Amino acid sequence: MELFVQSVISGILLGGLYAAIGVGLSLVFGIMGLTNIAHGSLMILASFFIMILSQQATGSVILSLILTLAIMAAISGLAQGFLVNRVLDKGAEPALLVTFGIAIIIQNALQLAFGADFKSIASPFASINVVNSKWVVITGEYLLNFIISVAVIFALHFIVRKTWFGRSIRAASSSVVAAELMGINTKRTYVLTMSLATMTGCIGGLLVGQTFGFYSYSGMSYLIIAFGVVVIGGMGSIVGTLLGGVILGVAQLLGAYFFGSGVQILIGYLTLLVILTLRPRGLLSNMTRK
Amino acid sequence: MQGVRKNNYTKSLAILVIVIVLFFLPQYGSDYAISIGVLIFLYISLGQMWNLLGGYSGLVSLGQQIFVGIGGYTAALVTEVWHQSIAVSLVVAAGVSLVFAFIISFPIFKMRGVYFTIGTWIVSEALLVFFRNWKFVNYDAGYNITIAYRIPMSQIYHGALVIGIGSVVLVYLILRSRMGLALMSMRDNEGAAEVRGVRLYRTKLYCFVISSVYTAITGVVLYLNIAYIKPGAAFGIDWTVCMVFIVVIGGLGTIEGPIIGAVVYVILRQYLYSFPGISMVILGAVAVAIILLMPKGIMGAIHKKFGVEVFSVRRRIDERLEDGS
Repeated sequence: MELFVQSVISGILLGGLYAAIGVGLSLVFGIMGLTNIAHGSLMILASFFIMILSQQATGSVILSLILTLAIMAAISGLAQGFLVNRVLDKGAEPALLVTFGIAIIIQNALQLAFGADFKSIASPFASINVVNSKWVVITGEYLLNFIISVAVIFALHFIVRKTWFGRSIRAASSSVVAAELMGINTKRTYVLTMSLATMTGCIGGLLVGQTFGFYSYSGMSYLIIAFGVVVIGGMGSIVGTLLGGVILGVAQLLGAYFFGSGVQILIGYLTLLVILTLRPRGLLSNMTRK
Repeated sequence: MQGVRKNNYTKSLAILVIVIVLFFLPQYGSDYAISIGVLIFLYISLGQMWNLLGGYSGLVSLGQQIFVGIGGYTAALVTEVWHQSIAVSLVVAAGVSLVFAFIISFPIFKMRGVYFTIGTWIVSEALLVFFRNWKFVNYDAGYNITIAYRIPMSQIYHGALVIGIGSVVLVYLILRSRMGLALMSMRDNEGAAEVRGVRLYRTKLYCFVISSVYTAITGVVLYLNIAYIKPGAAFGIDWTVCMVFIVVIGGLGTIEGPIIGAVVYVILRQYLYSFPGISMVILGAVAVAIILLMPKGIMGAIHKKFGVEVFSVRRRIDERLEDGS
């Protein structure tokens, strides 16, 4: 029973992290209808930047994160502006292949530079237990992951709902023509959206790097978690991502509780497929705008 | 009219000559040429089958590696565990993939658009984890397919040739049939097609099943060529990445596209072996560059410039008229 409660609590906290991984993907899909295969690899690229910067240059994870946010915003913005934007109106498949190409380039460039070794980012909170009772143990790391992820998601929700920039990207997502007539440069909006989405991915990359570790090809395995989270919640729904993350996290850890840790990922995927079969457009799809 | 018919005869004759030249390649070609030929034919088949889904039915799947894996594992189990012949493994692969495609069509056909794309990928990842934990298929260790060492290369080559040409003929026949018309009308406007009496669900299901079964048969020969199978490689997304590459580079929604794409892909990959490490980076960059320069793929660019089509399945308005509207 204790283990059951522990599994649920850890599942919820893990779900927060999953949501942080997925939310950028959801934003990009919601705004420009792009299935961004490069999201996971961009995230792992950010993990590598943070690791290298904090070890070699700054000595501080926070400072490295800020630098990485700037670097990754620039890289993803450039990729969007010069590559993806050009094929976005040519249909779904060319854009899909371009992001595929970017993902392959990033993965293999990382492999070339850092080899296939497993890396991680040191976390000062890994060994602190915030709650340590008979029923449940919560590590500082998991709790912090959850709090940061929820903060990221609500910040993103605020930006999209309340700011002028958010209004312009929502306008571009409902009608490109109408938005351009209203004086919005939609291509520039896409660039900024991609940068914003990748910045959330950087934070996801930091948390993943501290909690699980990563190597050059990790991007694809995190990408599928991100996709899973996003489709449960409903593509394009930012708050739905949080719900999706929690469902997937709890499903995985309960799967481990009932059937053993070897199949926990399988249970996660099966839960995803069941939910998608029952609600083929995600749980919160009727509340989303697109 | 006379000119058109003459042109058709020349075209058929040219295709026939090419097929005969390819058929007798083992008699005069080097081992290297034969092995390249095997890869090209098998990838043509993979590309054609993905194109049937993504290019004609609007079912953009990231999960076709499911069927490559099923084909490969059937080949391994039938020949290694049950000691049966390759012919048996082809039949079993077709049967298993038929049943599996039919079963998973229930959940995944509920999903549409990008949900379908991701749903198919999740199915394949689930299958990957399942195979890793399944004693019956030797967990993560996989199998050596030893029968592959005993069959001569020229036999594998002819198998691959039949599969490659067969895939082109199959797609051509499907597209020239009533079902092909239904497919193209669906791709252009689903609502309108349904109103005109196209049975959407059934047409998509047929397409999905045909594509899956043929991909599994291709998978059998692919793994006879590779001779070693593991879950991570068999159900890896890399298979579908190369299918998407081949189809989109060659030209989505054309029969020639996957042929050109497969030739480009295989030769490029062979050439890049001499740059270990950086080869995949170059491949990714080439994919991005070709798409930026020719968004409709190589065949799309050729067609636009010269108006050439080898396998015409056309019964639609001329593209120049479409552009003008």
